Amino acid sequence: MTDSPSHDDIVLLARQAGLNLPPAYLQELVEAYGNVRQMIDRIPTGRPRGDEPAHVFVPTKFLPAGQ
Amino acid sequence: MDLPHDASRLDLSDPTSLGIAELGVAIRSGLLSPVTLTQACLDRIARYDNVLHSFITVTADRALASARAAEAEIAGGGYRGPFHGIPYALKDIVDVEGVPTTAHSRLMPDTPATADAHVTALLEHAGGILLGKLGTFEFALGGPSWDLPWPPPLNPWNTDFLPGGSSSGSGAAVAAGFVPAAIGTDTGGSVRWPAACCGIVGLKPTYGRISRRGVQPNTFSIDHCGPMTRTARDCAIMLAASAGYDPLDPGSADEPVPDYVAALSGDITGMRIGLIRNWYAGEATEEVTEAVDRAAALLATLGAIVEEVVLPDIGQYADAKTLISMSELYTIHAPDLRTRPEMFGAKLRQRVMGGVFIRAEDYLNAQRWRADLARGLNMQFSRFDALVTAGWLNAADPADPNGADFFRRGRNVTMPFSVAGVPSLSVPIGFGAHGLPLAMQVAGAPFAEATVLRIGHAYEQATEWHTRSPILHSGVSA
Repeated sequence: MTDSPSHDDIVLLARQAGLNLPPAYLQELVEAYGNVRQMIDRIPTGRPRGDEPAHVFVPTKFLPAGQ
Repeated sequence: MDLPHDASRLDLSDPTSLGIAELGVAIRSGLLSPVTLTQACLDRIARYDNVLHSFITVTADRALASARAAEAEIAGGGYRGPFHGIPYALKDIVDVEGVPTTAHSRLMPDTPATADAHVTALLEHAGGILLGKLGTFEFALGGPSWDLPWPPPLNPWNTDFLPGGSSSGSGAAVAAGFVPAAIGTDTGGSVRWPAACCGIVGLKPTYGRISRRGVQPNTFSIDHCGPMTRTARDCAIMLAASAGYDPLDPGSADEPVPDYVAALSGDITGMRIGLIRNWYAGEATEEVTEAVDRAAALLATLGAIVEEVVLPDIGQYADAKTLISMSELYTIHAPDLRTRPEMFGAKLRQRVMGGVFIRAEDYLNAQRWRADLARGLNMQFSRFDALVTAGWLNAADPADPNGADFFRRGRNVTMPFSVAGVPSLSVPIGFGAHGLPLAMQVAGAPFAEATVLRIGHAYEQATEWHTRSPILHSGVSA
């Protein structure tokens, strides 16, 4: 998303993601959207398909207690 | 050597003025009772913490009972080691069986924790005397906050200022002499920032070095626990007591715990140190820049080979860290945000809610970017034994409820080492305007805690910043 969405668009985005805040907090939500969007736009993209993120699953880390 | 082995040379008239190493010598020799020491700390808390607000819960009865038990055990020949009989406190996101964990938040239930955190259990096993739970930013993120049931801790050096955060109570309590040791947690700098602002030593160890089981999460993939003390030697002692593998923490590292104290030779001759000046020159205040430059020059006079190195802009690390954190934080707090947003402090709510807009694609791209940044930083450890930069970009912030929100600045000199998960030690290097402390960071390769402690200790041996104490004022009229 590169266009600047409206206040109502941002509220709708959050609602569709399951966050339906009372009106008192909607201005905070709009400001948060702007901050997040700027950070996302600064993260490099266009990476190779196999580029592994900085988290891994180690199966032995999730054994039941005692094993 | 900086530590008297002869306990009779120690001035025990005010044991709260001493650090872990000195107290350990006195306790082991029998010249100082853990009960006397614990009572002195409790008296100091009772007298001064009504101004500083560093503690949320003081566990006085439990502490005195533990101190009496330690006294009897030591008298019976059962001395456990240098942490035996030492008072300590925990950031109040760390569980203690039988004591509520508030996380400095209205969101937490007012019920006692049912088990000790792994780090609590290790410190108790080492013989530590728990004095209580310390103030924090709400859930180690939302603060400083004036809209919560507990006021934010203040800076012991100047109560018009804050102690940094999020381990704000930990920094204030150690600097104030309430305890010689505290545990903080650090996701983006929350041990090192308050250590820098309070003129104490704080270590963010390698990711996985200290277990996070029983600690309220901030960001699973970046959370660390770390010791906060008055000296590097004390930090080494507390790290040894709190580090170790925990199979029930998926992030815990199964690595041996070396003898950190033995590494404190005082000699850094020939060590190669990279000075990351571009992270603070032009970014930090003038007093911070000058102090870090002087500290690096002193390391060179001590025999280290100091060479300037340029690394990527700190904003890149901050973007990666913040996006990862907001995603994980949102996962943790979304159920409460959906159902009772009014229970959040405003700062926590504002910092969490943006996570709803971060897609899986964005989160994983941030994790990919983190991998690049970590590789680039770790490459430096083939050239250098350690990296040095500013501890924080400014001295402590004013205690102003309407002050600028630090998190909006986006320029954070501690986050690069958080992103890379490598050990980073904050060491006091002087004082600036308003009598407030300044600091540098010394960072090393993964699990090279002994190296950064050795450099911090050598710096301390050549300076006296760590020996200064704030003058406290009681808020209670006689």
